[in-house]
Amino acid sequence: MRARRELPHPPPAETVGGWRRLFVLGALGVGAAIVLGRAFQLEVIDQDFLAAEGSKRFIRNVTIPAHRGAILDRRGEPLALSAPVETLWAVPQALLAKPQYVDAVARMIGRQPAEFRKFLQARIDRKFVYISDPMSPSEAKRVVALGAPGVFSDPSYARYYPAGEVAAQVVGFTGRDGNGLEGIERAQEAQLAGKEGSRRVIRDRSGNIVEDNLEYKPAQSGEDVQLTIDLRIQYLAYRELKEAVVKHDAKGGTIVIVDSATGDILAMASQPGYNPNNPAERKPPGTRNRAVTDLYEPGSTAKPLLVSQALELGVFQPTSTIDTAPGWFKVGSLTVRDEHDDGVMSLARILAKSSNVGAAKIGLTLGAEAVWSGLQRFGIAEPLYLSFPGEVNSVVRNYSEWGQIATATASYGYGWSTNALHEVRAYSAIANDGLMPHLRLLKNAAPVPPQRAISARTAREVRRMLETVVQPGGSATRAAVQGYDVAGKTGTARKLSDNGTYDSSRHEALFVGMVPAEQPRLVGMVIIDEPGDGRYYGGLAAAPVFARVMQGAARLLQISPDGAISPDLPAPSAPSSGTPMMVKVNARAGQ
Amino acid sequence: MSATGDRWGIPETRFGVDNWLCGAIATLLLWGLIMVASASVAQATKLTGDPFYFFYRQLLFMAVGGAGGFALYCVPMRQWQRSSNWLLLFAVALLALVLIPGIGVKVNGARRWIDVGLFRLQASEPVRLALIIWISAYITRRQVQLQSSLKGLAMPIIAILFPCFLLLCEPDFGATAILLGVVFLMLFLGGARVHYYAMIVGVAGAGLALIAVAAPYRLQRMLNFMNPWADVENAGWQLAQSLIAVGRGEWTGVGLGNSVQKLLYLPEMHTDFIFAILAEEFGLLGIAILLSLFGIVVWRGFAIARAAELDGRRFSAYLCYGLSGWIGLQALINMAVNMGLLPTKGLTLPMISSGGSSLMTVCALIGLILRVDYENRAAAGGVVSTENGARERPLRTDGARAQGVRS
Repeated sequence: MRARRELPHPPPAETVGGWRRLFVLGALGVGAAIVLGRAFQLEVIDQDFLAAEGSKRFIRNVTIPAHRGAILDRRGEPLALSAPVETLWAVPQALLAKPQYVDAVARMIGRQPAEFRKFLQARIDRKFVYISDPMSPSEAKRVVALGAPGVFSDPSYARYYPAGEVAAQVVGFTGRDGNGLEGIERAQEAQLAGKEGSRRVIRDRSGNIVEDNLEYKPAQSGEDVQLTIDLRIQYLAYRELKEAVVKHDAKGGTIVIVDSATGDILAMASQPGYNPNNPAERKPPGTRNRAVTDLYEPGSTAKPLLVSQALELGVFQPTSTIDTAPGWFKVGSLTVRDEHDDGVMSLARILAKSSNVGAAKIGLTLGAEAVWSGLQRFGIAEPLYLSFPGEVNSVVRNYSEWGQIATATASYGYGWSTNALHEVRAYSAIANDGLMPHLRLLKNAAPVPPQRAISARTAREVRRMLETVVQPGGSATRAAVQGYDVAGKTGTARKLSDNGTYDSSRHEALFVGMVPAEQPRLVGMVIIDEPGDGRYYGGLAAAPVFARVMQGAARLLQISPDGAISPDLPAPSAPSSGTPMMVKVNARAGQ
Repeated sequence: MSATGDRWGIPETRFGVDNWLCGAIATLLLWGLIMVASASVAQATKLTGDPFYFFYRQLLFMAVGGAGGFALYCVPMRQWQRSSNWLLLFAVALLALVLIPGIGVKVNGARRWIDVGLFRLQASEPVRLALIIWISAYITRRQVQLQSSLKGLAMPIIAILFPCFLLLCEPDFGATAILLGVVFLMLFLGGARVHYYAMIVGVAGAGLALIAVAAPYRLQRMLNFMNPWADVENAGWQLAQSLIAVGRGEWTGVGLGNSVQKLLYLPEMHTDFIFAILAEEFGLLGIAILLSLFGIVVWRGFAIARAAELDGRRFSAYLCYGLSGWIGLQALINMAVNMGLLPTKGLTLPMISSGGSSLMTVCALIGLILRVDYENRAAAGGVVSTENGARERPLRTDGARAQGVRS
């Protein structure tokens, strides 16, 4: 069975000891034990450290962008919207490794292949480079579908401003990271901004997500913000202001329309403007919301406030007259001048003719403290509490620092400054039978009860006087609105020059008014800054803008007409053409 | 038995095979195939777009390697013994060839490959096999001198110094280290005197150390393997990623296919560093099983060698010791490298790693070990040994005897 034969070949050698074999096996065994021990050390003892080191490299927190709330006008029309977009990014090294894709990608994102390759080469060490502007998701999908290695897209939201320049300064804009930088976008950041969500993913080394269910925190959308702005009126205001600024070759302009009963700001526009959809245009002066940020000396538009105070204190009566002859009047070194010498005038006539001499005499009769406290009545020194970025407060020195000259000038609106919203608020008190409303820009803001500035009787008296300003013989006949009685006041303020004196060639043309005069619904203010065509009177430059905007606004808001239809005025529906309809409407109808 | 068997010398299976050895090898090869498929998906997708590119290649190499291994299984041991000097010549020629630019292909600063169309042949793989066969033949021929004199020990070492030098020119430090390790193991088992041996081991160790210091990039590699976290984004990247992969494995691994480190974080994830991916996916348990399988291969290899030694077929015995030791040593070194115990050298994990040269050489090596086992079994079956160079083919005698017994 088992045949074993001694082999005769080759030369006999010593039998090798079995210990050598065991020694070698033992050595290998020791090696195996060391390997196993090391494996134990790595996989059990150092496991936490190593796993953490690994996670550091491939676990990424991907933020999920939150949808930013929209900004709407009072009727729900969008002023600012967020739409989903995708931004392409690349891992340059991965993309350059496949040159055939580089050109295709470059063409699809509209870049020159050579330039694109250079762009990637310069960033070869980076793991994340944006290669496109935000684009529509479908467009980005097409590029990603090329299958180019290392090309990915990130979702985000882009902000669009459907109203464009019309409401630009009010709405403001967001920066590249989506935070509000100006206007309501900035003021209401907390409400508009949502909370970003996040998810933890595992990425392979080229950036592909390979595992996506580690942890998920959904994004929370921001809330919409509804403004008191009525886009229709805002558009009217914007259009007419812009036209006037161009027509009068002016530096700028401001218009504010307020609901006098509620204090809701229905329109607020400034010129020059900017297109918020174009980041390149987002810079001053276009971005300035002048109604809030710009101070000016109110000039003659301050006179109704003075007259209100005079009546309220009982020092003057509606029937009081003042002798303004000879058309000028010396207070110390100051000479107060009127355009014409109108002799003895009633208070209404002083307002209608905008007599500085008359205003100065009233002011000096009342005294510094009474003039000053008259302004306080109308909240001139009280903040607006709109929390709009850039909001400024009026600058009014305390009456204790006023001398005769300061009292006289303050009476006709010089020596103190305010902004358009303050003045509109003050006129709202006159419009609202003495109750001064709190101005509102946010529709859902908690209502603040109005405060009484003057008595209802005084308010009505002053309104009646202000009607004469717009009536024939007044300084603002161009402010008249077809079908409505208008009360208002012009102002033509010289601007301060750099050396502190008044510049005779630079003016602010102002008009503040209310419609309908009998029981006003709307208060509006128009400022044309530095008309360059010589027609710098408030009655010429600002009043027509007021008239056209109010004409449209009254119709849009279906405010019952209270005035006569005059053949001299443009028709309500077509501001500049057509035959006016000769209809006498009952003044109180529908109220 | 059959005419075909007679003519081509195809061994009969009637003596059976070593079940433990074949079982372990089959398991390792299959596991290797699965691991290549798993570890290479990301890399294959990146390079070719086909996630199973490396898997299919590995399958093809396994078929080619299996056929080659079977062919070698059919070649009697005496053929190798007889042509061992030619093999030494072949080894030197191949190593010289690979160094010629245009023939040898340079990858990552090392010229180690010859492009043969279907795949790139890593010259050091067949060269090492050839040199180990030559060493076995040498021990068989000069065992008396080896056991008694310094010269007998020094001769074979001097003979392989030139191939070693050529290997270092490529450079292929890892292959050189493995070759020297196996040669010393074989000479030790051949009975080299321990004090000479210790001396030469010392000199060789000093020489290797000198070489490592002379080539600064090796020094850099040696330094960063000590602390891969020092320069983790550059020099230490690969090892740090490998350690992370192993560390993520914990006790039982993240599961087959779930490795994250294979997703292009760990370079060479399907070749030299496939062990780290295996450790990540199968954990400590997987490592223990892998070590056990290699343990079985080495144990059975040594048992077969021992049987041949006892049977007096010393060439077969020393070749078998050498080949089994080679598998065991390379597996251990590869694992040690993957876990940061040794500097990175570019050694594959036998039977697991992706790569044609490595896999086909391992198949050849298995064919040789099984041939030795076959001859052991044939001898134990009472068949005339072919060790003495008899013209008579063993198969015919086998067949004749078998028939005789049956009838």
